[in-house]
Amino acid sequence: MRLTNLLPGGRRRRERDLERELRYHLERRADELRADGLTEAEARRQATIEFGGIAQAQEEVRAVWKGQWIDTIARDVRYAARGLARRRGFTVAAVVSLALGIGATTAIFSLTDQLILRRLPVAQPDRLVQLAWMGNSLSASWGGGHLMSYPLCRELQAQATLFDGVFCRSPGTVNLSTGGEREPVRGEFVSGSYFSVLGVTPQIGRLIDRSDDTELGASPVVVLSHGYWKNQLGGTPNVIGRKVLIDHYPMTVIGVAPATFVGVDPLAPPALWIPATMVEQTSALERGWNRALDRRTAWLHVFARLAPNARLAEVKPPLQVWFRRMLEEDTRQADFPQVTAERREAFLASSIDVMPAGRGVSNLRLLLNQPLRVLMGGTLVLLLLASLNVGGLLLARGAARSGELATRMAMGASRRQLAGQLLVESTLLTAAGGALGVLVAPVLSTTVLSYLTYADDIGVSLDARALLFALLTTGIAAALCGLAPMFQMRRVSLQALLKQQSRSATAGGGLTLRKALVVAQMALTLVLLVSGGLFVQTLARLHANVGFDAGNLVVFSLAPPSLGYSEQRSEQTMRNVLRRVTEMPGVSSAAVANTLMLSGGWSTRPLTIQSDARVVSERPVPFMRVTPGFFSALGARVKTGRDFDSRDVRAAGTEPRPWRTAIVNESFARRYFGGRNPVGYRIGVGDQPDVVANIEIIGMVSDFSRRSLRDTEIEQVFFPYWDRDADDGAFYVRVRGTTESTFAAIRAAVREVDAELTVGSLRMYREQIDRAAWTERALATLASGFAVIALVLSVVGVYGLMSFIVTQRRREIGLRLALGSTRAGAVRLILWDAVLMVAIGVAIALPSVWALRRLVETQLFGVSALDVPTLVGPAVALALVALLAALGPALRAALANPTEALRLE
Amino acid sequence: MPSAKFPIPQGTLDMLILRIVSLEPRHGYGIAQRLQQLSRDTVQVNQGSLYPALHRLEEKAWLRAEWRESETGREAKFYSLTAAGRKQLEVEKESWNRLSRAVQLIFADG
Repeated sequence: MRLTNLLPGGRRRRERDLERELRYHLERRADELRADGLTEAEARRQATIEFGGIAQAQEEVRAVWKGQWIDTIARDVRYAARGLARRRGFTVAAVVSLALGIGATTAIFSLTDQLILRRLPVAQPDRLVQLAWMGNSLSASWGGGHLMSYPLCRELQAQATLFDGVFCRSPGTVNLSTGGEREPVRGEFVSGSYFSVLGVTPQIGRLIDRSDDTELGASPVVVLSHGYWKNQLGGTPNVIGRKVLIDHYPMTVIGVAPATFVGVDPLAPPALWIPATMVEQTSALERGWNRALDRRTAWLHVFARLAPNARLAEVKPPLQVWFRRMLEEDTRQADFPQVTAERREAFLASSIDVMPAGRGVSNLRLLLNQPLRVLMGGTLVLLLLASLNVGGLLLARGAARSGELATRMAMGASRRQLAGQLLVESTLLTAAGGALGVLVAPVLSTTVLSYLTYADDIGVSLDARALLFALLTTGIAAALCGLAPMFQMRRVSLQALLKQQSRSATAGGGLTLRKALVVAQMALTLVLLVSGGLFVQTLARLHANVGFDAGNLVVFSLAPPSLGYSEQRSEQTMRNVLRRVTEMPGVSSAAVANTLMLSGGWSTRPLTIQSDARVVSERPVPFMRVTPGFFSALGARVKTGRDFDSRDVRAAGTEPRPWRTAIVNESFARRYFGGRNPVGYRIGVGDQPDVVANIEIIGMVSDFSRRSLRDTEIEQVFFPYWDRDADDGAFYVRVRGTTESTFAAIRAAVREVDAELTVGSLRMYREQIDRAAWTERALATLASGFAVIALVLSVVGVYGLMSFIVTQRRREIGLRLALGSTRAGAVRLILWDAVLMVAIGVAIALPSVWALRRLVETQLFGVSALDVPTLVGPAVALALVALLAALGPALRAALANPTEALRLE
Repeated sequence: MPSAKFPIPQGTLDMLILRIVSLEPRHGYGIAQRLQQLSRDTVQVNQGSLYPALHRLEEKAWLRAEWRESETGREAKFYSLTAAGRKQLEVEKESWNRLSRAVQLIFADG
C-alpha cells in the first residue's frame, strides 16, 4: 500500500514526477525531430501530436494510482486477516484487551457526556442562569444548593428589565394516589412562570401558569410528566380534570408536559409538577411545614432567562444594585431578626451571583462529577496500557517474522509496503476491538452507574456522540499499536535481516522500543495501583469513622401520619411498636430517633450556651431526638453524666412539653467548653438575646457519624424524643440471631400493632453504611479492578520481553557460563534489565501521582494523595511481581546447557 | 505519425514492456522507441497509453523505477524488472506461446 498517497505531500511529489517523466519524453522526441531539420516550434508541435493527448495520459495514470491503491488495501486486509486468523491466541488476547479499553472509555464518556455535560432539552438553554445568594442570608434552609425564599423569588420576578423571565422551583417527594395505591413519587414545586420561561408547551391540557401563583393554597392543580402519564395511566386523554390525592390533599390534573421535557434536574425527572403555592398542603419539605411565605426560609432554586442580546456580565451590576437596596430595606423591616451587629454586617455584605445554568441543577450530578472524572482518567490509562501491550506484541511478532519480511523484501516488496501491511494488521485488530468495545460499552456504563449511585431511573444510551468518541479512541489506539512496528520497520535493513535469519537470533532493532513500552506500562500500572490503594484506604477509613460497632444493629422507619393518623394516635403507635420490639426474643436493646442516620441530611438549630459566659453557637448545631437506650443500642459510650431515662419520657396521653434536658457529644464539649465536663451547664434553642438557656446538659457521649461517613469533629446535641413531635421516626434495634428471622419478626411485631403500617428502610445498619459509602465503594472496587487488570497486562509485557531477551542472549550467556561465570551471575545479568525497567517506571510514576493528586484528592478521606505507605507499598509490590515475571526466563537461560547454547550457531 | 498499423491489446503491451525492460533498465521514451524497432514498425503504440501501463506495472511491483542520468545527461525515470516481474514475464511468455501455437494449429487445419 502507498501510504504516501494518503499524505498531501506524497501526492504532490508523484504528480511532479509524472510531469517530469512526460516532459522528458516530449523533449527527447522534439530533440530528434529538430535534428531531422524541423524548427523548434514545429518539433514541439509534432512531438505533442505523436504523443496523443498528454492530459488524457495523466488522467489514466492517476486512475492507475487510485485503483491500485484500493486493490492493495484489499489485498493487505485479506493478507492480514489470514495472518491474524492463524494466530488465534494472539488475536483474541489483543482484541479483548483493546475491546475492554475502548469499551470502558466509551462507557465512561457516554456517562460523562449525558449525565454531566448535556444541556437541558429546552429552547436556548444557554440563556438560562441561576441566581444565588452569596453570603449570610440569616435563613434556615430546606434542601441543597443555592436556595432563596419564596418572597425573594417573587421580587426577582418583578425585575422585568433585567431578565426575560424569572422562575423558581423546589424538588420534593410526595405521595400520589390516582385512585388505588398511594406511592411516593418525585414532584417539583414551581412558580407560575416556570413553564413559560422554560418555553414548554403542553402535550395536552394546560400547564401551571401565573394564575396558579397568586395566593397560598388557592391552586390545587398538578401537571403530570409525559412518562408518568404514559406508563402509569396508560396515556388516556381523559386524565384532564381527574382528581388525585397528593399527601392526602385532593388536587386536579390540568395537563401533561411534553415527552421531551423532564424538569430542570436531568438526573431526577419528576412525575408531576405542583404550584409552589401548594407546598404547605404536602409533606414534601416536612409534615406541617408552613413557612412558604417566610423571608428567612430558603427552599427554592431561582432561575432566570437572559434577555435577548443581554450578556451575563452586563446583568450583574444592575442586579447587584437592586439586591443591595433590598438588603437595606429588609434590615429596616419590623420582622427582621434581632441579631448581633456582626451578623447584621455579614447579612448586608451579601451579594447575588448570576451563574450559567444551561445544564440545570442536580445534586446527583454534583455527586457523580468527580468520580466520573477519576474513572475517565483510569480508563484512559487502561486503554493506553492495552494499546502499548498490543503494540509490544506486534513488535515481538515483527521480530519473530523478520525472516518472512526479509524474504519478501528480497522478492521486491518495498519497505513501505511491508510497513503498510503491519499498519493494516494493527488497524484490523483495533477495529475489531473497537467494534466489540462498542458492544460492551452499554453494559459497562449501566454497571458503572449502578455502582456509583442507587438511583435506578436514570440511564444512558449509546448515542451518535458516544459512537464518534469510540471511533476516535479506536483510531488513536490503532495509531498507538501500529506506530511501534512501523518505527521498527524503518530501521530494518535487508542485509541485516538476512544475516540474522541465518543465525538463531532475531531482529534486535525494536528491543529498545519494547523496553520503553514496558517501562511505560510499569509507570501506568503503578499510577493505577496507587490510586486503587488510596480509594481502598478511603473506604476503610470511612468504615472506621462510623463511631460504633454496627455489627448486629437493625434499623427501620415508620411514619404513622402518612396513614392520616392524628398526632396523638401516631405517637401511641410509635410507643406500642417500641414496646413490642423491645419485648421480642433476641433483642438486647431498642430505641427510636427522629431520623435514620447516614441518610445525608440533618436538622440544625442555633443554640445559646450558658457556660462561664453566655455565648451563641458559632454555627447552627445539628440536633437529633432520641429515646432512652439509644446510645447503648448503638454501642456509643456515655462518657460522663447519664443517658436519658424514665425521667425524660413524657407520660402517654399528656401534652407535649419543651425540652428540659440534653446530651451533647465530645466535639460539642471541646468546641464550647474547651474540653471541660459540660454536664450541669445549660443551653437554649435559638440565638436571639431573649432566648432563655434552661435546658440542662445531663451527659456527654462519644462522637459518631450522623449525616455522612465523612463527618468529623461535628458538634451535636441530643434531646429527648418523647417530649414532642414523637409521631414518626427510625428504630434502632440491637439483635442476636440471623438477619432473615429478625426481619420477619420485626415485620410481624409491627403488623400486630397496626396491620396498615408499612415498614420502611428495614435493613442492617451495615447496609446503611454501605449505602452512605456507595460512591467510595464504587471507586475502590473499580480502581482496584483497573489496577489488577493493569498489573496482569504489565506482567504479560515483562514476561514476553524477558523471554525474548533471553532467547536473544542465549549464546552470550552460554559463553559466559563456559568461561566460568556462575549460574547465579547469569540470572543476575538478565534480572538487571528488569530491575532497571522497574526503577525507571517507578521514577516516572511517582511524579505523575504528585501531578494527578488534585484529581483524586476530593474523593479521599483520612488519607493524603501523597501518603507514603500507599506510594511505597504498590511500588514494592510491582517490583516484586515484575521480577518474578522476569525470573522464569532468567532461570531458563541460566540452567541451559552451555554447550547446547553455543552449538545453536 | 498516426497510421493504420496493427493496434496492440493491453495485456500484450504489458508483456512487451516487461520483455524490453528485462534486457536492461530503460526510461519511457526508450521503451517506446525500442517497441517500434523490435516490431520493425509493424505495431503502433499510442505513446500516451504507454505511461498508464508503466505505472500499473510499477504498482503491481513487477517494475521498479528510479531517477537517474540518461544518455543525454538529463534526469529520466528508468524502469527495471523486479524478481516478481521476471516471474510474471515467464508466465506470460509461456501462455502466449501456448495461445499462438493453438491459433496456428487452427489456421493450419482450416
